[in-house]
Amino acid sequence: MPNAEPPPVVIAEGVGHVTRYFLREVGSVFWLIANTFEETFERIQRGRLPFRAVSFFRHTERVGVDSVPLVGLVSFFLGLTMALLTGYQLQRFGTERLIPGLVAITFTRELGPLLTGIMIAARIGAAFTAELGTMQVSEEVEAIEAMGIGPLRFLVAPRMLALVLLMPCLSTVSNLAAIFASSLVCKAFFSIAFPYFFDLVKDSLLIRDIITGILKSFLFGLLIAAIACYRGLTVKGGAAGVGTSTTSSVVTAITTVIGFDTLYNVVYTTFYPT
Amino acid sequence: MSTPLQMVELRDVHMRFEEKKVLDGVSLKIEPRERLVIMGQSGSGKSTILRLILGTLRPDSGSIFFKQFEITRLSRRKLQRVRQHIGMVFQYSALLSSRNVRDNVALPLEELTDKSRSEIDKIVDEKLELVGMGDSKELLPEELSGGMRKRVALARALVLNPELLLLDEPSAGLDPVIASVIDELIISLSEKSKVTSITATHEMDSAFRIATRMAMLYQGTIIKEAKPEEFKHSKNPVVAQFVSGSTEGPILEGSLDAITKK
Repeated sequence: MPNAEPPPVVIAEGVGHVTRYFLREVGSVFWLIANTFEETFERIQRGRLPFRAVSFFRHTERVGVDSVPLVGLVSFFLGLTMALLTGYQLQRFGTERLIPGLVAITFTRELGPLLTGIMIAARIGAAFTAELGTMQVSEEVEAIEAMGIGPLRFLVAPRMLALVLLMPCLSTVSNLAAIFASSLVCKAFFSIAFPYFFDLVKDSLLIRDIITGILKSFLFGLLIAAIACYRGLTVKGGAAGVGTSTTSSVVTAITTVIGFDTLYNVVYTTFYPT
Repeated sequence: MSTPLQMVELRDVHMRFEEKKVLDGVSLKIEPRERLVIMGQSGSGKSTILRLILGTLRPDSGSIFFKQFEITRLSRRKLQRVRQHIGMVFQYSALLSSRNVRDNVALPLEELTDKSRSEIDKIVDEKLELVGMGDSKELLPEELSGGMRKRVALARALVLNPELLLLDEPSAGLDPVIASVIDELIISLSEKSKVTSITATHEMDSAFRIATRMAMLYQGTIIKEAKPEEFKHSKNPVVAQFVSGSTEGPILEGSLDAITKK
């Protein structure tokens, strides 16, 4: 290959290309969030509801109520496993009374919001992308725009608000399910009675942990909704494009949730190192 | 730059999709109450012109006016307001699949006006009767035939009483009777309600029935603009071939040889 570029150039080009693509996508998601807010507030300023209450409640039911069994069940099993496995290790040192606090803090601060975020990205993010993607390829989004209706406030805003408001509720369900599961393990395997278990939970849990978890949940809800809606509204290539975008939406949302969780923890522990 | 008195004006509009040049200096004026038909082959850029007028696409260069508004320079908020005076019927109808016929037609009224439920119902009934779809209000788009969808899309486009109606292939894929019904409806709207319409089509029967003026789009430019009668007897080889539907002529030159050789 006489005209082949030397490897460092190829690598640099590749890195540049990926970086540019990444920054463009991140910029576009933030553009979508900003414009959705703008369109929504413009509408409110004119003294009108930004979207129909029926539409909002339909999404909250799907995001919230319908997700409770999945989130509850997965968290229950995880809480159970966590209590059981850590319990046997702690028992060797005679410190099994630490199980309630360990499960409660881990879930409230970290695993509750993170697990919920991952499950909701897969369950609801995929649904949002597929729904909006199908509307996009069948020209429905363009038709809405053509009527003079803002598609962001009409289609994105109710989904985004439903997800942002319902994520903390689902995280709370996750926390409660995991703590309840660990209380059962503690009672059955480590002879910790329920009242003592809940006293230990109360003693170990700080308000700060709960607030941290709730703040994270709001943030994850916003990110999942924005990524899912952005992927849906930018679908190209018909039915196959909807499939590709839906997969991409789930992968991107899960990666972003985990990435932001790490970033949040790094920032948080830097400023509040306890 | 002077503001035009026309209903719509395109000035030297250029548009390119990636490598493909779709519009190459299109200029066009549409007077109020006219029924302009834009003709051209599939993929020649007819739908692109409609989308540019609506502002859902932005041209690479050139200006587009709707009345005194320069569409290409309007802010998003103003563009949304201007669009409320324009009705668009998409080629594949673009009805919202999760809403029934009534809710599809009611959508612009619910979202953009302060009318009460009963007023909205009254207008929706009136528009659906106008297109002969009064009995299908509760049906979902998937339960409708192509012609029925087109008529519902037309009712939805008319619900805000637009001054300008844009129709993308309104009779494509429809049986001749339903196609004539839609054509008659477009004519009656312009005569009774003074609606200006721009129709993009390659269905010649429909084009000659609707048009008060025609424009032929070929290789990115308007090669002829005239009354339908002049079009019928045009000496321009491209127009003559397109109107007659002949395989002999400049339109398929090259590609026809390739097809016949196979």
